[in-house]
Amino acid sequence: MAVREGAVNVLEAEGLIKKFGDKTAIDGIDLQIKEGDFTGLLGPNGAGKTTTIKTLTGLVKPTGGRICYYGKDFFSNPKEAKRFIGVVPQQSNVDRDLTAYENLYLHSMLHAIPKSLRKGKIEESLEFAGLQEYRDRQVKTFSGGMKRRLVLVRALLHEPKILFLDEPTVGLDPQIRKNIWELILRINQQKGMAILLTTHYIEEAEKLCRSAYIIDKGKIIVKGSPDDLKKDMGGYVLEVFLEDRIEEEFFNSKDDALVRLKECGHACKIRQVTLEDVFIKLTGKRINV
Amino acid sequence: MFNGFQGVLYRELNVFRKRAKKQIVASSLSPLLFLIAFGWGFGDRVAVNGLPYITFLIPGLICMSSLNQSFSIAQELNITRFYFHVFDEFLIAPISHVEIVLGEAAYGMFKGLLSTCLIFAYSVIFGVKLIIGPMFFLAILTHTFLFATLGITVAMLVRDHGDQATVNTFVITPMIFLSGTFFPVDKLPEIFKWLVYALPLTYSTKVIRATLTGGDVNTLYLMLIAGFAATFFFTALWAVRRVEG
Repeated sequence: MAVREGAVNVLEAEGLIKKFGDKTAIDGIDLQIKEGDFTGLLGPNGAGKTTTIKTLTGLVKPTGGRICYYGKDFFSNPKEAKRFIGVVPQQSNVDRDLTAYENLYLHSMLHAIPKSLRKGKIEESLEFAGLQEYRDRQVKTFSGGMKRRLVLVRALLHEPKILFLDEPTVGLDPQIRKNIWELILRINQQKGMAILLTTHYIEEAEKLCRSAYIIDKGKIIVKGSPDDLKKDMGGYVLEVFLEDRIEEEFFNSKDDALVRLKECGHACKIRQVTLEDVFIKLTGKRINV
Repeated sequence: MFNGFQGVLYRELNVFRKRAKKQIVASSLSPLLFLIAFGWGFGDRVAVNGLPYITFLIPGLICMSSLNQSFSIAQELNITRFYFHVFDEFLIAPISHVEIVLGEAAYGMFKGLLSTCLIFAYSVIFGVKLIIGPMFFLAILTHTFLFATLGITVAMLVRDHGDQATVNTFVITPMIFLSGTFFPVDKLPEIFKWLVYALPLTYSTKVIRATLTGGDVNTLYLMLIAGFAATFFFTALWAVRRVEG
């Protein structure tokens, strides 16, 4: 999808701070999400990703900073702003005792979808998620992947402008993970909905996100498109297998890396730079811990 | 306008519907045991305040049972908050906190009234005649609202299931035993009277018992229950707001 020049900002956050007691969970975060954007918020566990999402969606009040949806302050118009927001939390928080249909019906009531439209929209959602045959089954009989799909389409039911996904594929099998990513991509491309997701499956994020914010210890340490971020690193990595560790050297072209490989006396491997390398270089630690 | 209220109530009633049988059977057992033990055990040999003991006891059981049921939404809220995180759906939705509190309170009232009906059925079986008039409805609605909103307040303030159990052990159970459910509070030693007259159940038991047995309803007590109910409505509202801290 082409980058939309001059698209409107759905969300702007400025200097967001959240303290729990004397612990600072997020420390001055700035974010801008335009209509149709696909943005990743990447970082290790405990970096402040979930707190950021919770703050942006109104589940947690920030200690400081501003949040605006379409230029209007979130906290002075929470009801209006919440209509623009769809949330897929880290845990599939569907009602186990209710059926898939009832779960969606509840959402349609809470979001004041007119009664006459509810049934049609719910059927459409079930189809989009591939859950039509399970419509009247209690959610407690669902697999993890099915619950995830249900939570996803539930978040879309009221046609938000921006969808927040907190670790949408955590704890799922690789195949189901792929299936969920495809669904998310379709949501972004077919519905043109802006997406802000957090994940620590960084290789998946770099394939999908058109822009990424890397967060560590509650601060955004770098932002940009995955390609630009990788280019800044050089593009190619030479992994030198020393006796006790692996050393990584970065090069602007494959040829440069090859020259170095030939003169290097150790076992070596050349590969492309990943977002994870960007992260390690900036923070000195791995993301998947 | 009231879509949030309707949504919350829709959720709670539908979840209840799926477990209704189990819940109703479970909630019907303890009052029955009390009736057998105290009602038949003492039978009509004992008279309290000029009433046969069983006639004195049944209104008390109505208060106890409806309190238990209305307040029990606290446990359910705990599960939805800490375990399934379904409560977040309410907080994320564009609805007001007032609607959340009123929706949950209506559900608590529904549960309390259901258990009231159950005890009315027992009273027929045990041959106890009660007077059910508009004053009784006013009192029982206020009473169930009061304890439902107290339940919401507690559920929003506790940090886990353990805290919730502590509140039940140290607040709810003593209140039920001391507030005139099983015996008239006037018989208590002076020092306890101070305590029981600080508890809302004391007043609602007095009012509800008076309405059901043809006694005089003390208007001051009725106003006090209403005062407690209003207070707990605001604490519930404050506590829900606090969750988004």
